Amino acid sequence: MTPDMMTLAAHSALLHDTDSAPPHETLSERKRRFEQLVLPHFDAAYNLARWLTRNDQDARDVVQEAVLRAYRFFGGLRGEAKPWLLAIVRNSCFTWLAANRPAETVGFEDGAIELLPSDEDGPEMQAARNFDRKMLNDAIAGLPAQFREVLILRELEDMSYKDIARIADVPIGTVMSRLARARRLLAESVRAASNISGTQVPK
Amino acid sequence: MTNDEANTLLHAYIDGELDPAKTLELEAHLADNPSLRAACGRLREMSEAVRLKADYHAAPAWLEERVRAALPAEPKNGPARPTWWGWLKPAVSVAAVADWLRPAASFAAVALVTWVVALGVLRPGEDERITQEVLASHVRSTLANRFYDVASSDQHTVKPWLSARLAFSPPVADLSASGFEMIGGRLDYIGAQPVAVLVYKRRQHMIDVFVWPAEGQKAEHTLTRDGFNIERITKNGMTFWIVSDLNRDELDDLARMLAERSAAP
Repeated sequence: MTPDMMTLAAHSALLHDTDSAPPHETLSERKRRFEQLVLPHFDAAYNLARWLTRNDQDARDVVQEAVLRAYRFFGGLRGEAKPWLLAIVRNSCFTWLAANRPAETVGFEDGAIELLPSDEDGPEMQAARNFDRKMLNDAIAGLPAQFREVLILRELEDMSYKDIARIADVPIGTVMSRLARARRLLAESVRAASNISGTQVPK
Repeated sequence: MTNDEANTLLHAYIDGELDPAKTLELEAHLADNPSLRAACGRLREMSEAVRLKADYHAAPAWLEERVRAALPAEPKNGPARPTWWGWLKPAVSVAAVADWLRPAASFAAVALVTWVVALGVLRPGEDERITQEVLASHVRSTLANRFYDVASSDQHTVKPWLSARLAFSPPVADLSASGFEMIGGRLDYIGAQPVAVLVYKRRQHMIDVFVWPAEGQKAEHTLTRDGFNIERITKNGMTFWIVSDLNRDELDDLARMLAERSAAP
């Protein structure tokens, strides 16, 4: 197989809604295509799993299993590989959490976002640019999983609302409200942590 | 537009996800509402802070390599699943071969020839290379304190976990009654192929049992290397390499029991 043919195979997978791999594809071509299209997003897969499981060892297990599963379902890939892979990783994470740490996946109603009057957190609120790095990471890790998930996908993976909706399998409106809620909770959490640790709030 | 609505839309606005009509409407609102402008600024800062300061966890390089190596070059439900040992059996049906060859006759033929050549001409250095690889794997897992990918003392958990990830199903024996406690299993890459590793424990000694389909019958083979006892047995179409710092007598016991239990259920 020439490099040109390989490029063509990769393109046809991106451009066409095919139910399965091209019928003429050999097994090693399939593996190579997977390596070209999907494995470049391995870090993104790991980052998401690491933030959702909050543990290196668990993230390794989940990602390993999820990527092997993705390979089995590779024929079902439509459109872009990154959201497709992240959807599989995300589902593996939640399945894993439900089995191993059920308390982390239950009980948070999306509900309405309680909006504080906009000037309540006025000048005394710590400017986000001065957030302590560790405090911020701890605060993100402390968010309920479904809010943490949209925040990571939006801010660290730079995914669009549409892709996040696809990955988390919720409507776009829910993505918006979860993201708003995530940022609100994060601000409150960092502020509370700053007060406890006695950090001087820069004016 | 009320203040509440505007506050909600701010998120989509700073994320560049607001449609043009709403954007104009919101911007008009921002222009004559200083506190909304301040809220918008804080939101941008928050978003910026997360982007700049939240940890991005890149995957360890070895993990990607391990997954890459474990990708079967063969779909799970392919038309036929030729296995190393399958080719050794005299009665491979012609239909099965033809079926398997159909997708890419030339490629398969080349692979087949390569296979046969590889089977026929096992280099004398092969055993030495595998000895080094299994020993390295054992030491690495001990150093990293990372003994298994799946932790379980239940053979009915470990076996399917391994089978789902390999092109073969390794025999997994529960030997706890004999004092060899199973603690889990992992995948590794030995002799240029993904293999199963069963992890047993006896007192404080960790024992790795590497399993893959055998390329024919081989004599038993024992040696000591760097203070580790290593043992190879071939039984019922499977090769077992056992590595541990456990004493030779007890390791022999384990090898014997593994051989006895390796018959397909």
